[in-house]
Amino acid sequence: MKSRDESLEIIERALAAAAGDEADAVLCSVDRNISRFANSNLHQNMSEISAELTLRVVADSRIGVASTTGFEPEEIRRIAKLALDAARRGKPLPHFRGLVREAGSLADLPTFDEETASLPILRKAESLRAVFDEGARRDVHFAGSWSTASASITTGNSHGLRRHAPLTFADAVVIAGAGNGSGFATRIDRRASRVDLFTLAAEATEKATMLPGQTAVEIEPGAYDVILEPAALAEIFEWMNMITFSGQSYEDGSSFFVDHLGQRVVGENVSLADNPLDEDFMPFPFDMEGVAKRQVLLIEEGVARTPVVDKVMSDRLGLPLTGHAAALGSEDHGTALHLSLAGGETTREELIAGTERGIWVTRFHYLNGLLEPKTALMTGMTRDGTFLIENGRVTRRLVNLRWTQPMIEAFSNITGLSRERRGIGSWWNPIGGAIAPTVRIRDWKITGVQKS
Amino acid sequence: MSRTRDLLEATLARLLREGARYADIRSTVTEHQIVKVRNGAIETLASTRDKGIGIRVLSGNGWGFAAESEDSEQALHRSALRALEIARASHVASTDSVMLSPIDPCVSSWSSSYRIDPWSVPIQKKIDLLLETTEPMRSDERIHQATGEISSYRQEKVFASSEGSWIEQSTTEMGGGIEAIAISGGEYQRRTYPNPFGGDFQARGWELIEELALPENGLRIRDEALALLDAPKAPAGTFDLIVGSSQLALQVHESCGHPVELDRALGLEISLAGGSFLQPPMLGNFRYGSDLVTIVADATIPASIGSFGFDDEGVPAQRFPLIEGGIFVDYLTGRDTAPVLGRRSNGTVRGESAMRIPIIRMTNINLEPGTTSVDEIIAGTRRGILVDTNKSWSIDDLRLNFQFGCEIAWEIENGRIGRMLKNPIYTGMTPSFWRSCDAVGDRASWHVWGLPNCGKGDPMQTMRVAHGAPVARFRNVEMA
Repeated sequence: MKSRDESLEIIERALAAAAGDEADAVLCSVDRNISRFANSNLHQNMSEISAELTLRVVADSRIGVASTTGFEPEEIRRIAKLALDAARRGKPLPHFRGLVREAGSLADLPTFDEETASLPILRKAESLRAVFDEGARRDVHFAGSWSTASASITTGNSHGLRRHAPLTFADAVVIAGAGNGSGFATRIDRRASRVDLFTLAAEATEKATMLPGQTAVEIEPGAYDVILEPAALAEIFEWMNMITFSGQSYEDGSSFFVDHLGQRVVGENVSLADNPLDEDFMPFPFDMEGVAKRQVLLIEEGVARTPVVDKVMSDRLGLPLTGHAAALGSEDHGTALHLSLAGGETTREELIAGTERGIWVTRFHYLNGLLEPKTALMTGMTRDGTFLIENGRVTRRLVNLRWTQPMIEAFSNITGLSRERRGIGSWWNPIGGAIAPTVRIRDWKITGVQKS
Repeated sequence: MSRTRDLLEATLARLLREGARYADIRSTVTEHQIVKVRNGAIETLASTRDKGIGIRVLSGNGWGFAAESEDSEQALHRSALRALEIARASHVASTDSVMLSPIDPCVSSWSSSYRIDPWSVPIQKKIDLLLETTEPMRSDERIHQATGEISSYRQEKVFASSEGSWIEQSTTEMGGGIEAIAISGGEYQRRTYPNPFGGDFQARGWELIEELALPENGLRIRDEALALLDAPKAPAGTFDLIVGSSQLALQVHESCGHPVELDRALGLEISLAGGSFLQPPMLGNFRYGSDLVTIVADATIPASIGSFGFDDEGVPAQRFPLIEGGIFVDYLTGRDTAPVLGRRSNGTVRGESAMRIPIIRMTNINLEPGTTSVDEIIAGTRRGILVDTNKSWSIDDLRLNFQFGCEIAWEIENGRIGRMLKNPIYTGMTPSFWRSCDAVGDRASWHVWGLPNCGKGDPMQTMRVAHGAPVARFRNVEMA
């Protein structure tokens, strides 16, 4: 990972090379290891050391972007020329008033953990071996991945803004397989010490070995009460990020926020924020345009408050800048990287106990939210732990189920939220993730089952 | 190049001396240019150039992979030592033995061909074409977005292995497409040409963009998007389904291409992307589809983005059947998975770039054309639905239960095309769906669709693959 001085020096050279009216630049530097395992065997073990510079040039309200992994003077001059050449073409961006000048002051956040950054690869392999051996004693096999990384993000612009922050993360996913059953557990944190592989393996094993001797059964399609764990909700949020919360979805009219800001769109018990300042969940102090992060309410007690926007979309829509540029030149024009659903007053166990007939879902697989974005109609499958609840008790293991459900309706039908929340990582989000409680939702539409 | 070759081969020799069983090195330079316009303004004008060196080492039964985006001699040295260290650590947690299928080392080169270099075409010409295409599409106020995109891609790759292979490859590709989004009241409809998500992609130059005839199709998709606003919803129920070529390409991708990846079938990808219902004991005896269904993997098709000369283990590109007359006969394999079946690698292991570990990927996975014309298929359908152009896709973790939404549909009544229908969704189980196929369109309806965004692996890698697909008919399919 490049040091603060190295990173800032590259940013300075990029900005100095950039002609045009304005420019900004981002350098992302990463040093990470990913250990992937399956059938209780470590089969892929990878290290990546990389750095990429992106330079954006503005000329007469037009924008050009170029990026490179080379930082020699001639390479930086090359991308500066490319970006300027691009920015000199076409019509000015509608309503664009230039790059960020007032970016706010940064919160002092614990983004970096030395122990995580220096975790030896051999120690990770030894831990995995111990988990595999423990599983073998119980006839349980494991699959999953364990990532640890240190990184830094440095940004600056021609108005004198400079930002730099190092960060670390540890992200583990464990699937336990036992007979025909499987279970799942995951956790992400800035500190590897809080992502305990043995605890996750035990949690996944508990799900995989629940209701021993049972064969998974099918259920009839229809409307059911469902209890969704945080990993399932996080996958829904990933899609809502794109089709509901992003500046682009608001501008192109596909978001159900359009024409409804300030109005109740879902149940009063839904409060969803983007909160990068939560020190217990992947804190980070600024976006890629250098704007200081703050908590931004997207839905407050059921009322739509704002999409998330970068500077281009903030100017275009006339909405306050929220500080959500995920990349320079991003077509989403705003991405919430720290979605946070407020919890309730109960526990997962109490939600189950209070359900007469319903389905307990651990996680989803292969969601798609492009069916009818105006209602956030989505479809997907369940996997790695789907159970039938009858009279408040978990009674049967279920086959994986297909569901097709408008989220605008689902989030109006939440009948309980747990106090405990868990942070969930995502392959596309290296900075944050989503943190959510377990929720119970009424009338969730099950539309099919997995059968061979 | 000779100094580079000396350096890479010396690095490989050193890794063997240090105790590695096997090692390979890839070096890539990848360039990408995207030009995108939206509503008369330039939305994206972006150029990227990424370099990388990736080294894979097998020590004992442990694999190690190390990559750096710096391509200096020092970075090469660091990566080699790091890959060896990781491989030794992996051996500690390895509970399986690693065997590599044999290979004939070779020294060779390969490149795709093009007539007009994408980078020789001025950016302004690309912008002008997109604006000329999309501006007339905005003539109706219900068209909320008119978008056009042209992308160019080039990757230069060197592969060297400790077994003596030295292979240089160069791939040049282009893609282009347009999109209209119509909104009226609460209704939202999207129509694209020739395919969604950036259009169609081929291993060709600017001549592809000229042949796509984007301006000639802009007003058509505008009118279809507008017509969809007022079209009736496609009905739910059981229908005979005629699937257009572009949608069928994605059906092949999700319900055949992925489940025949041997790493999935063996559970190696289960934590993220899932497994496969197609298990090794089913080889040669499982009826996957009807007699009309023959699906091949063919990495040798000219001008396709799923083609190459050699995979990233140095195995030559090949053509072989996966489903033959409806029977499941082969997987996509690599050198460390093929021995599980007692077979040799069929050359499908690739990485997005040298920065990513190579894994089994689709090449060109094609449903072979049949002998029935599209007109005959429609004329032979008493009551059905014709769907085309993908809008949404979802399939379970074993690739059995799928659901697809399409941009557009038409009803078929007594052998004739009737009303346009909106929001068609069909669903089914992979084997029963393909077994219900009773008509496969002829070569006139067959097209190789380039998909540059197939996701797999952790960290996620997007791979450039393609699918040849005709029009085909499936009996008694459930519409949602």
